[in-house]
Amino acid sequence: MVHIRDLRRIDAYLYEIPPSFRTDMRVPARFYADESLLDGVLGDRSLEQLVNTATLPGVVQHVLAMPDMHQGYGFPIGGVVATAMPDGVISPGGVGYDINCGVRLLASHLDAEEIKPHLDDLASALYANCPSGVGRGGAVRLTTGELDQVMEKGARWAVKRGFGSALDLEHTEEGGGLEGADPEKVSARARDRGRDQVGTLGAGNHFIEVDVVDQVADEAVARCLGLFRGQVAVQIHCGSRGLGHQVCTDYVSRFQKVIRKYGIDLPDRELVCAPSSSSEGRDYLAAMKAAANYAFANRQVLAHHIRRSFEQALAGKVKRPELFQIYDIAHNMAKMETHSVAGRDMEVCVHRKGATRAFGPGSDALPAAYRDIGQPVLVPGSMGTCSWVLVGTETSMSQAFGSTCHGAGRIMSRSQAKRSVQGPALRRQLEAGGIRVRAGSMAGLAEEAPAAYKDVDRVVDVVHGAGLARRVARLTPLAVIKG
Amino acid sequence: MRFEEVEHTADRALRIHGRNLEELFANAAAGLNSLMVAPASDDADSVAKRIELDAADAEDLLVSWLSELAFWAETESLIFSRYHFAELSPVRLRAVVTGGPVNALQKHVKAVTFHNLAIRREPDGLVVTVVFDV
Repeated sequence: MVHIRDLRRIDAYLYEIPPSFRTDMRVPARFYADESLLDGVLGDRSLEQLVNTATLPGVVQHVLAMPDMHQGYGFPIGGVVATAMPDGVISPGGVGYDINCGVRLLASHLDAEEIKPHLDDLASALYANCPSGVGRGGAVRLTTGELDQVMEKGARWAVKRGFGSALDLEHTEEGGGLEGADPEKVSARARDRGRDQVGTLGAGNHFIEVDVVDQVADEAVARCLGLFRGQVAVQIHCGSRGLGHQVCTDYVSRFQKVIRKYGIDLPDRELVCAPSSSSEGRDYLAAMKAAANYAFANRQVLAHHIRRSFEQALAGKVKRPELFQIYDIAHNMAKMETHSVAGRDMEVCVHRKGATRAFGPGSDALPAAYRDIGQPVLVPGSMGTCSWVLVGTETSMSQAFGSTCHGAGRIMSRSQAKRSVQGPALRRQLEAGGIRVRAGSMAGLAEEAPAAYKDVDRVVDVVHGAGLARRVARLTPLAVIKG
Repeated sequence: MRFEEVEHTADRALRIHGRNLEELFANAAAGLNSLMVAPASDDADSVAKRIELDAADAEDLLVSWLSELAFWAETESLIFSRYHFAELSPVRLRAVVTGGPVNALQKHVKAVTFHNLAIRREPDGLVVTVVFDV
C-alpha cells in the first residue's frame, strides 16, 4: 500500500514515488493530481499497480498515471508506460482486454435549439439503429474473408463498404487502420466472438451521447476543429468488442509460459509480457493491431448508423442533418513511437491503458488540418455531466510520452454505485434535467451514475494546469444511449 | 459461503472458496453466473457440453475454465449450472457441463484476469480472488 508519506511532490500537479520505495522498481512512478483528487488516488490500489509497472523489463524514464487514474487489473487505468525498443517488453494486460477502446466525436451544422423539439425521436432512432447490450450482434454479419479485411484495413474497410467518407479516415488516429495487423495471429475463438459484432456498442461504460457545445475555451482552435457554441455533436465510446477481449485473453494466457523462457519476474501475473522483438511479442503486436483495426471499423459503422438516425429523425425538419467527423482516438493501445528520453530520441513502445495519445502541434501523425493546433483529445465525462475537447501540447510530448487523460475516472465500485443509486430514479433525474435516456439495463445505468465518477472538470483542470493538454470546448448531454 | 464479492473500483472481484479443487472450480463457475445473470441461473438442462482444457498451473486452468464459460454465455447466451468433472488436476480439466439458454444476460463479463491471482490453501480448504473485466 502506498501512503501519502511515500510521495514526493514535484509541482502543483505532479507527484512521484521514487525508485527507493520498492527494490524491484526500475524507474520512478509519477502521477498527475491536485489536492482535491489525491484522496481518491490514495483510496484504492491504483498507486500500488502503478509501482508494479515500474518493474517491467526495459521500462524507461518513468511510469505515469493520469489524473483520472483508478484501480484496474495489472496496470492502473490511466497508466502510461514506455519500454525501450527493440528488447523492452510489450504487455497484453498493459493494453487491456478492450483493445482500442476509444472515442469518436461527430459534429453537426445544427444549433441545439433546432433539434430540441425532435430530441425524443432522435434518441429513439439512435437506440433502434445502433445495436447495444450484452453480446448483442449487429446488422453486419461478416464472412471469414470480410472479417480478415476488417482486421487488416480497419475503418478503411468500412468506408469502402459505404459506411462513411475519406474525411472520416483523415480525422481518425492512424487513419483508422494500423499497418502490420495480421489476422493469422487472431484465434478462431476471437473471430467467433467478433463475427457479428461490427457496428455494435456493447454494454458497460460504452455509450452514444448527443451533446451540445456549451462552452468554448479557445475560439481559434475550436474554429479550426469546426466547433462552435450551441452546436449539436455526438460522441461514441466503444472498442473492439468480443474479438479484442479474446485476443487479450489468448495472449495473457500464452505469455504466462513465456515469462519463464525470458527469465522475467513480475509482481502480478496480469503484467505478463515478452520482449517486443521476440516471436511472442511480435505475434501479440500483430494480433493487437488486428483487434485495434476491428475497433476502428466498429466505430466507423456505428457512425454510419448514427448518421442514418439523424436523417431518419430530422430530415425535412432541420436544414442540415448531416454529421462530419472531428476526430477518433484510442485510449487502450500499445504503439511504437519516437520520444525524447534523457535528451536523445528513442524508439519506445508506449502502453496507454485508459490514457489518450495527445501529440502536440507539428506532429507528422496529425492530419494536415490539425497540424498547427495539436491532436484533438476527446475526454468523455460521466453520464449526465460534461465532456471536454482538448488538444495535445509540446509539454505532453516532453513529459508524458505524448499522453493525457481519457475520461473522468471511476471513484466508486459498481456494486457500491448500485447500492446508492437506483437505475429508474437516476433515469428520472436525468430526464428532469432535459437529458433523454435510452438504456437496455437499469442496473447498468445505475453502475454508471455520475456519483460513481470523479468530477471531469477537476481532471481536465489538472491536465490543463500541468500542460498535458489545452481546453478547447466543453460538451453537455442532450441524449444518452446505453446498452 | 461459496463465494462473495470483493469491492473493486472499476471491475468485479469475487473471493471464491472450496474444500478441494473441484468445489473451487464449481463455485467459481457459480460466481461467474451470479455476475452475468439475475437471478443467478436457471436449472434448465437442455444443453450439455464437453470441456477439455490443459494449462500451466491451477490458476491458469481456473482462468481458462471461467473464460470458456463466459465465451458460451456471450456467444450463445448459455449458462451452465451443473459441472461433472471427469478429471481435474492443477494442469488438466475434463468436464461435462449442463445448463441452458437464458433470455438475456444482465452483465457482460469481457474477460477473466490473472490480476494477483493465487489459489491459497487455508484451514478450511482453498480460496482464490478472481477479478473479472466487465
